[in-house]
Amino acid sequence: MNYFVKGNPDLCIGCRTCMIGCVVAHEGKHIFEVDPDSYSFNPKLHMVKTANLSVPVQCKHCENPACMAVCPVGAISQKDHCIVIDTEKCMGCKSCMDACPFGAINMTVQTGKFQADGTEKKVANKCDLCYGFSGGPACVRVCPTEALTLVTEDELGDAMERKRAEAARNAYLETHPQE
Amino acid sequence: MKKEIGSFVVGDSTKCTGCKACELACFTVHNRKSNHLGKTVGTVTVPVTPRLFLTKFEQGCMPIQCKHCEDAPCLNACTKGAISRIDHQVIVDAEKCIGCKDCMQACPFGAIALLPYARDGRLVGQAMSSEPKVFASKCDLCEGIEGGPACVRVCPHQALRLVDPEAEREEKNIRAAEALLLTKNWR
Repeated sequence: MNYFVKGNPDLCIGCRTCMIGCVVAHEGKHIFEVDPDSYSFNPKLHMVKTANLSVPVQCKHCENPACMAVCPVGAISQKDHCIVIDTEKCMGCKSCMDACPFGAINMTVQTGKFQADGTEKKVANKCDLCYGFSGGPACVRVCPTEALTLVTEDELGDAMERKRAEAARNAYLETHPQE
Repeated sequence: MKKEIGSFVVGDSTKCTGCKACELACFTVHNRKSNHLGKTVGTVTVPVTPRLFLTKFEQGCMPIQCKHCEDAPCLNACTKGAISRIDHQVIVDAEKCIGCKDCMQACPFGAIALLPYARDGRLVGQAMSSEPKVFASKCDLCEGIEGGPACVRVCPHQALRLVDPEAEREEKNIRAAEALLLTKNWR
């Protein structure tokens, strides 16, 4: 099973530290020392704020990803428990963006890369669970209210087993009220 | 908010019946001025050259058209500089196109066809060939045409949709965030 990062709207205060942590992890710490216009600020998760909640939304790393199915150039693939985009292969057709039901994919400028007519190159951008970086997802590490959790196969499996056992216990009590 | 990426039209194979009204509407609106197309069939003196292509496949049919890619392979492949990005859309300059077929090969959707080029109700010829001049025919989202994409407007089954990808993404984000409220006690 693929892993994913999950936000808890009860804990999230909408501070956007996760978005900054994401960009720092993927672009490097030098972004604090350079002209803000010289690189593109492309967080791979999106802070949603409504009247009722604030929480970041990011890729669920689906088991049968619609984005992967529609990509015409095979730029989206499954690697070590996560779905990753190969930005070299991506040509920005937006099919994945249209296919994703969570709005987890956006198009971002590739700094310093241009198309044949000189206009900026844009490619698909989404959470890669900090693939290839040590320490796991940066958003989870930087969140000041611990509102983000990396959900692994074991954790989800354990939670399901706990819930099933609880349901079974409750059902047993119903038929054996004396105990 | 500033629109930063290009829109596109997508077909829905669950609704499409393959009537080709989209192809005809596309041809008509693009040739009203240049080829004096009126409202009746009798005014058509040139070959029908749609910019989207009704495609039949094993499970059904749907029109296929340009996605206006953000790193457009057709644009990058065009040596003549006949394809450019105007107001976030990928647009072919039919006058400049020399029919080299590179864009067709570069496009992974098959969204481009080389079709005969007509002007003033007549096919445009070439000096040393009996074949008419062709151009890379692809969706331009009805650039400069009042009312937006004709295919979307004409489809009798609402099987075509003009997508504003960023706006739709934000809407989907909100639904996803609301779903997180329902799953917050997953443990």
